[in-house]
Amino acid sequence: MSAPITITYTLDGATRTAAVAPHETLLRLLRREGIWSVRFGSDTGETGAAAILFDGRLASADVILAAQADGHEITTVETFNQLGDELHPIQKAFMVTGALQSGYSAGPMMLGTLALCRKNPNPSEAEIRDMLSGILDRETAHVKVVESVQRAATLLRGEAVEEFRPIILEPMTDGTTAIAYDPASPKVVGSPAVPRVIPSRDVPVMQVVGKPEIKVDALRLVRGNSAFVDDIDMRDMLFARLVRSPHAHARIVSIDDSRARALPGVRAVLHHGNTPQVKYASGGQSWPNPYPWDQVSFDDMVRHVGDRVCVVAADSIEVAEEACALIDVVYEVLPFNLDERVAETAPKVHAESNTVGIEDADRNLVHHIVGRTADCEPYFDDPANKVFEQTFRVHQVQQTPIEPHIAISWLDEDERVVIRTSTQVPFHVRRMVAPLIGKAVKDVRVIKPRIGGGFGAKQEMLIEDIVAHLAILTRRPVRLELDRAEEFYASRTRHPQTITFKSAVAADGTLLAQRMTVVANTGPYGTHGFTVQMVTGLRGLSSYNAKAKDYDCKVMYTNIPVPGAYRGYGAPQAEFALENHMEDIADALGRDAIDFKRQNWVKRGDRMDIVLRLGERGGVEGDIPDEDLPMVMSSGIEECMAQGMRSIGWHRRIDPAWVAPADRPHIRRGLGFAFCMHGTAIPFMDMGGCSIKINDDGSFNVLSGAADLGTGADTVLAQIAAEVLGVPIDDVKMYSADTDLTPFDVGAYASSTTYISGQAVKKAADELRLKIKRRAAQMLDVEQECSITLRDRRAWAPDGRSVSLEDVALDSLHTKDHEQLMGIGSHVSTECPPPFAAQFAEIEVDVTTGQVTVTKLVMAVDCGVAINPVTASGQIEGGMLQALGYAHTEEFAFDENGRMINDSFGPYKIYRADEMPDIEVFLVQTMEDSGPFGAKAVAEIPKDGVAPALRAAIKNATGVAMNDIPFTPERVWRALQNAGLGK
Amino acid sequence: MARISAYHRPSSVEDALALLHRSTVRTVVLAGGTTVVPSRFEVPTEVVDLQSCGLAGMMVEGATARIGATTTLDTIADDEAMPYVLRDAARREQPSTLRTLATVGGVVVGAHRESELLAALLAYDAAVTFVNGTGAHTCPLDDVLGDPSVLHGAIVTAVEARIDGHASAARTGRTPFDSPIVAVVGCRRPDGSVIVAATGVASTPLVISDPTGLEPPGDFRGSSEYRRHLVVELAARVRVALEVLA
Repeated sequence: MSAPITITYTLDGATRTAAVAPHETLLRLLRREGIWSVRFGSDTGETGAAAILFDGRLASADVILAAQADGHEITTVETFNQLGDELHPIQKAFMVTGALQSGYSAGPMMLGTLALCRKNPNPSEAEIRDMLSGILDRETAHVKVVESVQRAATLLRGEAVEEFRPIILEPMTDGTTAIAYDPASPKVVGSPAVPRVIPSRDVPVMQVVGKPEIKVDALRLVRGNSAFVDDIDMRDMLFARLVRSPHAHARIVSIDDSRARALPGVRAVLHHGNTPQVKYASGGQSWPNPYPWDQVSFDDMVRHVGDRVCVVAADSIEVAEEACALIDVVYEVLPFNLDERVAETAPKVHAESNTVGIEDADRNLVHHIVGRTADCEPYFDDPANKVFEQTFRVHQVQQTPIEPHIAISWLDEDERVVIRTSTQVPFHVRRMVAPLIGKAVKDVRVIKPRIGGGFGAKQEMLIEDIVAHLAILTRRPVRLELDRAEEFYASRTRHPQTITFKSAVAADGTLLAQRMTVVANTGPYGTHGFTVQMVTGLRGLSSYNAKAKDYDCKVMYTNIPVPGAYRGYGAPQAEFALENHMEDIADALGRDAIDFKRQNWVKRGDRMDIVLRLGERGGVEGDIPDEDLPMVMSSGIEECMAQGMRSIGWHRRIDPAWVAPADRPHIRRGLGFAFCMHGTAIPFMDMGGCSIKINDDGSFNVLSGAADLGTGADTVLAQIAAEVLGVPIDDVKMYSADTDLTPFDVGAYASSTTYISGQAVKKAADELRLKIKRRAAQMLDVEQECSITLRDRRAWAPDGRSVSLEDVALDSLHTKDHEQLMGIGSHVSTECPPPFAAQFAEIEVDVTTGQVTVTKLVMAVDCGVAINPVTASGQIEGGMLQALGYAHTEEFAFDENGRMINDSFGPYKIYRADEMPDIEVFLVQTMEDSGPFGAKAVAEIPKDGVAPALRAAIKNATGVAMNDIPFTPERVWRALQNAGLGK
Repeated sequence: MARISAYHRPSSVEDALALLHRSTVRTVVLAGGTTVVPSRFEVPTEVVDLQSCGLAGMMVEGATARIGATTTLDTIADDEAMPYVLRDAARREQPSTLRTLATVGGVVVGAHRESELLAALLAYDAAVTFVNGTGAHTCPLDDVLGDPSVLHGAIVTAVEARIDGHASAARTGRTPFDSPIVAVVGCRRPDGSVIVAATGVASTPLVISDPTGLEPPGDFRGSSEYRRHLVVELAARVRVALEVLA
């Protein structure tokens, strides 16, 4: 061991002395000192999650040795907290504007603001974005963060700021009828961070719902308080590291761990030879998990580079890493395949005999999903119709939450297994992990604290079994955190697909038949392979009406890093292909693309006929009466179109002077559009539960199983409860997602939390409201309890007399007929109301280099009633950021051995703050009666339209249509070359 | 985690050299740390931190800018005495949270093939000053990049650039601040001569005279053919811009 070094440094104004190891980073030291706001995102500084002020300048603490800090001044978010209860203006600004989603990197953002404003009290937007360039944010698209910095600078200058509230716009349409686009229509003026809300006449005025309430968890984030999985101290904690496969496909011949076990500080080594071989599927889904159950905790086969081989638990990360290097693994290397298109004849990925539920293991066929409404062939064969067929390829990308997967497990005082984990699905994890570790569900507790982003990657039981195994074995707490490279190649990704659409169109432009054929790549494990591809079919064949629809999908095993759930869940793939196909059909017919799509897209009152044919638990066969088919009950798409076209300046796409600017001969400009339709939750399956109780002071505790990923779910649920109970949101205290303490909830996925968990909260609140009204009626001597109303923290009689909710609580808890007033609610929906959206993109193409620059994205979304317009618009902004990466820059690159070669940020390119296009978001209200207070989903639809809108814009600019993504420079250049354009 | 076994902070270059030249201990120089700290060394390695060696700071004398080796990139980017192209290249080299740590000396030693700052320094006809066991030396940056062994066992102390020319840059990347697939920086000297340098077309940035003759190594962001196309196209654009500036 190296001798420790004693350093003296200044931390937030106080002199500190510490003994540090030579290799210890400043990040590790600060967290050891209890500074939780400095967080791990990578070892290489590029995420900025660990940034602090080093002598007043923003710097990543993960690439600074603690020894380097000797004699220097370190500033963290703690410096703000020296004001006591008073918040610093920067903290206030970040709370108000909705800049905090998960808040994982909130500290660096606020510290960067402090440093920037000290240097320049009135920074420009470019300077702000440059300051933020080193703090990657996968959640906000930086729009509201920039606004926060501007607002903070204003406050620090001592100037007044305007209230941060939505811009309310007059509707441009009657809600259902298309209007002619008017290029002269004035654009909306105002900060892009402020959501533009177009109210619906169908939506009543409410007190809390629909208001831009500050997030209920904002304080802990701006304070840098303990919030995330790793923000706890545990005595005698062990640290786990994994040995991972260097091969894409191999059999493990032998593992010799003797040298590792002999290393001082090593407490356990687990591999296939000493762990139970219990089969499971890792996707976090409702019981029973879809087959195949093709994984075990540790296998004697490895099926992708990065697959689990063994794990070490040791007294320190360094010892664990050293031990991993001492384990000798002998592999029999096998041939591998990465491409779903040739998987049927590729080497068999699952040759074992004990995996059930694989459709045809010999052909690497995991699932064959089919469903149709009617036979398409007669329409294809009819010579009166025009028939179009196109194939598209979509690629593999990663969710890249800035907080990697992390889990800590220990045995509690009753020797039950506790797992504190960054998960979207705590209840599924509890149910799924129990059999793997030989425990009953009742003996496992899963706690979901704050999550630093998930986006589907954490809808998985990914590492929880490992820490639980180790905790049981060692009887000590065990912590496992993936590093950034592991997060890329060993967590979860989006499924690549090859998609073919074939359509028949009548002479008048009516879409008659549509067949969608998909070959999907699920990598070496099934996990979400069935359900994602089922959703691909739903989304690909729901947006447009046709008399016949036919879906045929083969889900294939390969040896790529494992795909799973990723926000959008099969829809972005489908919508890319579908929208491209419809755009090209319109062009081929000589039709305006919007007119052609509008002629065929689903409208209010239309039946969604494919839905029942592709159910998650099997589609319905045979005739289905029309009245049994789900109907579209709300759609604001025409208002979305009107607002979006105005914002993007749609007329410019046919202006030659704009498309080909005379002063920039290499540049062509273009505009593109995509129609988006998504789903809201999984009907008859997604379920949420909630309980609410009243406290002595008339406040309420809401216990919900829903998992807030940073989306603002807790805030939205609190708003729903507050609206029902007639109190301000501050009187509602949320606690969510702890399997011992909160009711069941399937978790955060499928755009379900507001719609499902929100409805559960509403039901619980409704039940409690009735009980409050009953007791208030007694207290007020009112005969008709239904005549009591709740508002302003009081229960009111029709004659104007009232009692406070505090009085009601005290009466029930302490005075008479004692009872705990509480409500319980759970909800499963029979509906799946689609949100709609219009996505527009503006781009520039350098026709001689192929470089595409995205200059503006506009999305107008009908998400029903946005319970909180600030968090809803933040969801849309962040979704577009991820969708932009999918379309434009992000991709997995492999070497000849199947090893990912760009497993770090930079080579794997996600957008930074200083290169984002302008973004504008519109929230078009509709009243969806099946949702809580009219809400539909908003979280996933922004993932759907960017790629096809970019493709359409490139086509508008150059005339070249590309059928695969991402639109990276060489790919675009080659397409231009093939079309005889550029040089 | 880096296997760093000892940390030294000498107060002079001489002391740093003495530590670096010990034969029994593997030792590396730590400037900003952005490369060294994340490294995973195969064997225990000691680091020599140059922060107290007095190598930070910039000075412009006439047409020459002398940039101390441990001058951070944000210092260059913020110094209005430096030409815009050089400042912009320093800014592009790293994002905000690393720019405050990374140093010009570290960039020279790193010799990354995608470094637009190195291309800019090449275009500004930069020279590298370093000390080794035989004393202090100054060598054209082009030569240092062409033969990295020149710096083995040496400590870079400064980079000098001739900043009296007019410069222009062009680049192609996936996004506006992506590390460029290919970047070209050119500088027209007061005597009318032009130096053009490029990234992404060889193992290090280099001065180019005839871009059509290059055989760039390809990768997933750009094939050899594409990179050759880019360097020709971007070099032509830079030359046109330099004509306009003249």
